[in-house]
Amino acid sequence: MSTALANRFLDPAVLAGISRLDLVARTVVEGFLAGLHRSPDFGFSQEFAEYRAYTPGDDPRQIDWNVFARTERPYLKRYRGETNTALMVLLDASASMSFSSGAVAKFDYARYLASALVYLAHLQRDSTGLIVFHDEVANILQPSARHGQLMRLLHGIEGAEIGKRTDYKRPFFDLQTILKRRGITVLISDFFEDPAVIVRTIEPLRFRGNEVILFHVLDPAELAPDLSGPALLLDMETGDAIETSAEYSRVEYPQKIATHIETLRSKARSAGLDYVLLRTDQPLDAGLREYFTLRRERL
Amino acid sequence: MGFLSPWFLAAIAAVGLPIWLHLLRQYRQTPRPFSSVMFFERRSQSSVRHKRLRYLVLLTLRCALLILLALAFANPFVNRTSATAGRRKLTIIAVDRSFSMRYGRDLDQAKDAARRVIASLPGRDLAQVLAIDSHVEAMTQPEVDKNALRSAVDAIHATDQASSFGELTRALRVMDQTTGMRLNVHFVSDMQESSMPGFRDLRLGPHTTLVLHRVGGRARPNWAVESVTAPPHVYDANSTRLTTTITGWQTSAVLRKVTLYLDNKAVASKEVEIPANGRAQTEFLAFNVPYGFHRGEVRIQPHDELSQDDSFPFAVERSDPQKVLFLYVGGRAQQAFYYKAAIESASNTGLIIDPEPIERVSSLDLSKFAYVVLNDPGAVDSGIAQKLCGYLSRGGAVFIAIGRNTDRAGKVPLYGSRIVGEHDTERAAALNADEPMLRGLAQLENVQFFENGTVAVKPDSRAVARLADGAPLLVEARMGEGKLLVFDSSLDGTSSDFPLHASFVPFVVQTGHYLAGFEETTPSLAAGTAIPLRKTRDQSTAADVIGPGGKHELSLNDASRAMSYTLLEDGFYEIQRADHRRLLAAVHADRRESDLRPAPDETLDLWRNTGDSQPAVQSGGIEKQTRPWSLWRYAMFLVLLAAVMESIFARRYLKEEKPAV
Repeated sequence: MSTALANRFLDPAVLAGISRLDLVARTVVEGFLAGLHRSPDFGFSQEFAEYRAYTPGDDPRQIDWNVFARTERPYLKRYRGETNTALMVLLDASASMSFSSGAVAKFDYARYLASALVYLAHLQRDSTGLIVFHDEVANILQPSARHGQLMRLLHGIEGAEIGKRTDYKRPFFDLQTILKRRGITVLISDFFEDPAVIVRTIEPLRFRGNEVILFHVLDPAELAPDLSGPALLLDMETGDAIETSAEYSRVEYPQKIATHIETLRSKARSAGLDYVLLRTDQPLDAGLREYFTLRRERL
Repeated sequence: MGFLSPWFLAAIAAVGLPIWLHLLRQYRQTPRPFSSVMFFERRSQSSVRHKRLRYLVLLTLRCALLILLALAFANPFVNRTSATAGRRKLTIIAVDRSFSMRYGRDLDQAKDAARRVIASLPGRDLAQVLAIDSHVEAMTQPEVDKNALRSAVDAIHATDQASSFGELTRALRVMDQTTGMRLNVHFVSDMQESSMPGFRDLRLGPHTTLVLHRVGGRARPNWAVESVTAPPHVYDANSTRLTTTITGWQTSAVLRKVTLYLDNKAVASKEVEIPANGRAQTEFLAFNVPYGFHRGEVRIQPHDELSQDDSFPFAVERSDPQKVLFLYVGGRAQQAFYYKAAIESASNTGLIIDPEPIERVSSLDLSKFAYVVLNDPGAVDSGIAQKLCGYLSRGGAVFIAIGRNTDRAGKVPLYGSRIVGEHDTERAAALNADEPMLRGLAQLENVQFFENGTVAVKPDSRAVARLADGAPLLVEARMGEGKLLVFDSSLDGTSSDFPLHASFVPFVVQTGHYLAGFEETTPSLAAGTAIPLRKTRDQSTAADVIGPGGKHELSLNDASRAMSYTLLEDGFYEIQRADHRRLLAAVHADRRESDLRPAPDETLDLWRNTGDSQPAVQSGGIEKQTRPWSLWRYAMFLVLLAAVMESIFARRYLKEEKPAV
């Protein structure tokens, strides 16, 4: 598959024409993988990968005792096939995620991304779980690498329905009770909340050795609204109406949303969280690449 | 600038509507869903201000649209001085040929004046000759040929009709509007004051110039037999009475010999002293009138300059009283008692009552009767009804009185109308004394009409008298050439106490004279009076008119179709109408023409000034005229333009109001 053709399958507008989410995930991931440069660090096999010095918290069962006998230092022997991890996808299904100004709504984009991530994790035999939330937790699928987990996840993503408001505390409370091993947590949301509140809610996960990626999904019209005149805007989550002008949307609003994004990015990084801004008119590979990079760093 | 219909400007008040829509009405905007408004701030004041600024263009267009529409209907105009080629001039030569122009040599002088006007016309100028009396007759079309104009003037002869300057003015106004030419009118007349109408009828057109040529002197004394009062029918020579009035205008007191002629034979003569500018009356009594129609005339001697009005013709007929067939039913001849007594008690009615049982109708010649009376006939035998209907359609007359017998039959014979309902005992209420059959009849006071059926009035007939409750009392109907009166009470006192009242006699006499046709004959008529020849157009029987010259005046076509004939000349006309009735009509010239006093100069000046008294400024053959120039077409064009612009702007704004995010 050529790179151009592969990129085409990462275009969200093209994906919107595919009805089955498993096909979407497969198309995205295969397109993404076909576009990667071949690298010895990336692959899926049971080959020896590396020895790594034992660090507190590692599973002592993974210590290579032969090496310890020879060197009296504990090393962990790592194989490609054994470098699996746990992936937990948190999908925001609040009302604001249904906003759309183009071919793809934010929520659809988020579902494509989530399905592609779980499909990619499935290929790497990572145990994968899912939490769909808005102001309540709508669906929880415990992380697992067992057969059939992929389809359960895809069904869970496909069946997710838009709720009302966003509340990050509830899903993260449930997540802390679910996660028994360290892994990667992916939060896909539009983050219309105070960055300090978001980071303060998510930060505890990082303390437990989890890698957290914040996928910030925004519609282009949310970054630069195209108001040609005065308009009465209705908040999709709160129902509040506000009358605004085209002049404000052209000058002040972009500055405010940019400040919000930058604040969230800086606070996330300060807390050790990865942050990725995704526009719904951009291909999905940026999200996948970020996950892949992070996973490689963890191995 | 002005407005031809300024009241339409009131519609400008409608601009309040768009102003209310744009400025006073609270603006309502459809909310647009957005993911989160946490980064938005309220900008209502600035947005509304912006909205108003933008919508002012649309508001202006809408206001302009309404204002222009009101202006267009108000029909604005500006007075515009246009230099256009002058109207072509048409010279009108109008010659008065009325009866008064017979005075002395007035008509010859008028023709001479007209010829002088023709002679003074420039070579290629158009001219037309009109002759004026009570009507305007064009003697030529617009001509440049002066010989044709002169011939037309020569062909003008005096008539016996009165002149009407109002009729001339109306004709000139029409020519002013229709010819598109400038009218230069020369009117030659004796300018009688009696021919001048009200000033409203003397208004000339804006392109008409009137030049008056007066003929005859100002002091023209004239005596005339102004009127003759004589009975059209004479039944008894001993009671013959004729009254005549002799009048002088601008005259001194004189003694005149007044002679009564009958068939050109002097019957009686009197000397009458006529006061200065006054009238004198004289009577001729008990003169002998032989049987038949006779041509009478009253003459004064010696004659004056206008000799034609020194005699006054009248027609008189000596005959026996006409029979009236009174039909009674049930062998009760006494039913005719009251009716016969009423006719006989009045003097010179010319009618005698012949009571007969209704069964005898089939053996009688109905044409010998002046009219037929049916007193409460009940249900009439079809053969009798058929004969009476035929009599009616040929010009006969029938009086039907409705009593209890007819009431029981439920239908009015001959008339065909049903008797509906029943009225209580009532008095007569509406009585139109102007109707010929009720003329001079006072209210039927205290007459009680007992309970009786109500006659349903058919659409082609009319009720000329009604009871107090509105029920018809006397109904007049036409059947063919004939006349029919239906009276909702019997004549024998069984349905009312009418025969016991004094008003019964004039009622019987007047309705009898109406039915016998006496009302249609008068001893003398003024020239120009139209006399009816037939009552319905479908009557194919020929009529005939023999004029004063002894010639048949009607063509074959007119004889079988003409409804009336206008008597134009002084003299006697022998007339046979379509219903076979013959009469002799005497026609006299209109006596208003005998008053030869001229109209004051001030009056004539005012008449002249109603036209184009200030000739248009002329410069080198170019005529400058100030005319109102209507601007409504331009206003409508601007309305169209504003409507298009309004559509464009409104469409643009509506498009903008759609969700943009």
